[in-house]
Amino acid sequence: MAKTKEEYLEELSNAVVEMEEDDAAEIAREYIDEGHDAYEGISYGLVDGMNKAGELFEEEEYFIPELLACSDAMNRGIEVLSPHIERQEIKDEKIIVIGVVQGDTHDIGKNLVALLEEVAGYKIVDLGKDVPPRAFVDKAEEVGADIIALSTLMTTTMPRMKEVIDILKEDNIRDKYKVIIGGAPVSPKFADDIGADGYSANANGAVRLVQELLG
Amino acid sequence: MSNITFNPDNITISVPKGTTILEAARQAGLSVESPCNGAGVCGKCRIERKNISDIEALLIKKSAFTEEHGEDDTYILACTACIEEDVLVELTANKESDLKILSKGRTFELDIDPAVKKVYSKDEDTTKVFYDGKEIATEPGNTEGENFGLVIDIGTTTMVASLVNLSSGEEVVSESVLNPQAVHAQDVVSRITMAAEEAGMNILYTEVVAEFNTLIDNVATKAGVDSRKIYEIILSGNTCMIHLATNVNPKSLGEYPYDPAIRGGSNEPAARHGLHLSPEATVYLPPIISSYVGPDITSGVLATQIHKRKDRSLLVDIGTNGEMVISKNGILSATSTAAGPAFEGMNIEFGMRAARGAIELFEIEDDETITVKTIGDAPAVGICGSGLMDIVGELVYHKVITKSGKFAKPEKANLPDFLARRLEERNGKTVFMLSEGVYLTQKDVRQVQLAKGAVRAGIEFLMKSVDLTAEEVDEVMIAGSFGYHLRAKSLINIGLLPKEFADKVDFVGNTSKTGGQAFLLNPLYRREMEELVKKIQVVELSNYDNFDEVFVQCLNF
Repeated sequence: MAKTKEEYLEELSNAVVEMEEDDAAEIAREYIDEGHDAYEGISYGLVDGMNKAGELFEEEEYFIPELLACSDAMNRGIEVLSPHIERQEIKDEKIIVIGVVQGDTHDIGKNLVALLEEVAGYKIVDLGKDVPPRAFVDKAEEVGADIIALSTLMTTTMPRMKEVIDILKEDNIRDKYKVIIGGAPVSPKFADDIGADGYSANANGAVRLVQELLG
Repeated sequence: MSNITFNPDNITISVPKGTTILEAARQAGLSVESPCNGAGVCGKCRIERKNISDIEALLIKKSAFTEEHGEDDTYILACTACIEEDVLVELTANKESDLKILSKGRTFELDIDPAVKKVYSKDEDTTKVFYDGKEIATEPGNTEGENFGLVIDIGTTTMVASLVNLSSGEEVVSESVLNPQAVHAQDVVSRITMAAEEAGMNILYTEVVAEFNTLIDNVATKAGVDSRKIYEIILSGNTCMIHLATNVNPKSLGEYPYDPAIRGGSNEPAARHGLHLSPEATVYLPPIISSYVGPDITSGVLATQIHKRKDRSLLVDIGTNGEMVISKNGILSATSTAAGPAFEGMNIEFGMRAARGAIELFEIEDDETITVKTIGDAPAVGICGSGLMDIVGELVYHKVITKSGKFAKPEKANLPDFLARRLEERNGKTVFMLSEGVYLTQKDVRQVQLAKGAVRAGIEFLMKSVDLTAEEVDEVMIAGSFGYHLRAKSLINIGLLPKEFADKVDFVGNTSKTGGQAFLLNPLYRREMEELVKKIQVVELSNYDNFDEVFVQCLNF
């Protein structure tokens, strides 16, 4: 007996949570063959699973390897579904410019945040690591970003975060962007001190933070 | 301005409103543990509310720590409590007792020919002192028998001093203390941050030099030696500590490309630092390999003679920074990896240093007994680094912790009852009970995964840099004061070392000190190492694109 669309969506979600790459691809194929909508398959199936994985990560059920394995499963499903999406310009797409500040080359945490923000539907412009303060601002201006997200692992490079905000103020464009920060040595107090708009202790929290800031 | 009084020392100082209790305590010259240097992250500077005369006199800011652990009405953090009105604070004792620091280490057959020589002249009844053949002093009477040198190994957390008789080559006495800088900032990076400001640099430099002098006075008294008869001192330790000890700002170590400001392999007069030695004494700094592979590893290479070996061997110093060097028939490659402070007991719910009451050994026997040994056989109050690795290693081996690092579900994993019943709920989360009131949390396991994953990934890249596999490595030497308390089986159980290393692991102890002694006893070793470090390949892990990938693979057990 054929499965209902809701059953398919739940299976897609479960395949991601259970890190079953082959299942994700297989269920996605059946889903399309049955004539269901590809876009909904991604957002209510695969992405739903990834959101659940993010929650499990926050609850310490899952750790970095699981989160990445879930992401692999999600991507296998997306590979199958995305060719079937009717392309249309997504209006009002929110853009996040993200990077590790100058002087620091540790980027694992930043990559996790970028991954989850992308899953949540934001467009990510990833500047990588060891990024000069000016480069964040220039890129944000160029792409018309909504959020500037700064990361660092080292206390020595924390002052670079403030420099980004200072440049925004000097250029009189501070209000155009929400600046969020994260990384092991950073704290809510530090975010307050430098006048950032938000802080998150982990990648899943960063998604909620962006959602709150962008309303 | 507001007045703050600290008891039991009964010290009152006046500070501008908004000053934190931590800042005020430092100004008053009192020590409050603050490993994160007041960033509000580590929670170790907590003060019980009942020890504060008037809580309303304080403005308490939010911090990452309270954010994570929830607000607590029993204590505040000294680093986020700003003084608004006059207040009195009771600081409870913060003394380290029964601290266990290792000072022994592997060494080799030394050829003794020190730089300092003494010649007595009967005619003039004086003794001339020579350094590298140059006369540096003349002493009345015959002092030929009083020719001493000193090695200080400066660790991020602990320091060891060794007084050596330069004529016989023997260690006369050795003594360990905590590095006083650790009170202000626990790890290397927070120390670099603190030194970025002139006042911070001054504190770090003057305090460490003052502690050197205390150490010098203590070893001299203990040995019945006149400290002015010490003519040379070797400063071994990690690169950052050597910068701070010689009053060189380590700023450049803290930012990519992480270059050191000094290279070592050099002499300077001890008088420059006001050390309690002979006024003519010399300081020798062993050569630095790179920013994060320091003179302690150069000393380790010398002590273990890894560069002369005709086999494949690995030397690893496990600490906050895992520094390591591999030798393939004498071709050397070195790297370092940021393990973080978990192995020092930081970021661990019940983590503590290797002091009284710390669980240092944990074993699950086949007959279902569980052995929990604490330092000083005191009631367990926390877990130190070696205990942490033992605990996690045993729990992984007995499947209480799964490969992915999760606590097992007792019903699913078929756990024997004596283990299953130790899995309890605390604040809605599963924990493993170790002893009355002391337990291991899921988050602690995650911290161990991050730390061991970093060291393991370093080992993997280092082996690859000289094209070796784990099977091909003949000997694995674990160095460092920390290394000595560890057990090979735990290191393998948690996957910090590959299982192919089983039966090849040796604990070589404090080779930073024994290598330092070798430097002291013959300048030829200095020239040898100064040449050798130029040839050591330094593997910078962050330059590898697939480091993330390998690191993530190394997180699982």
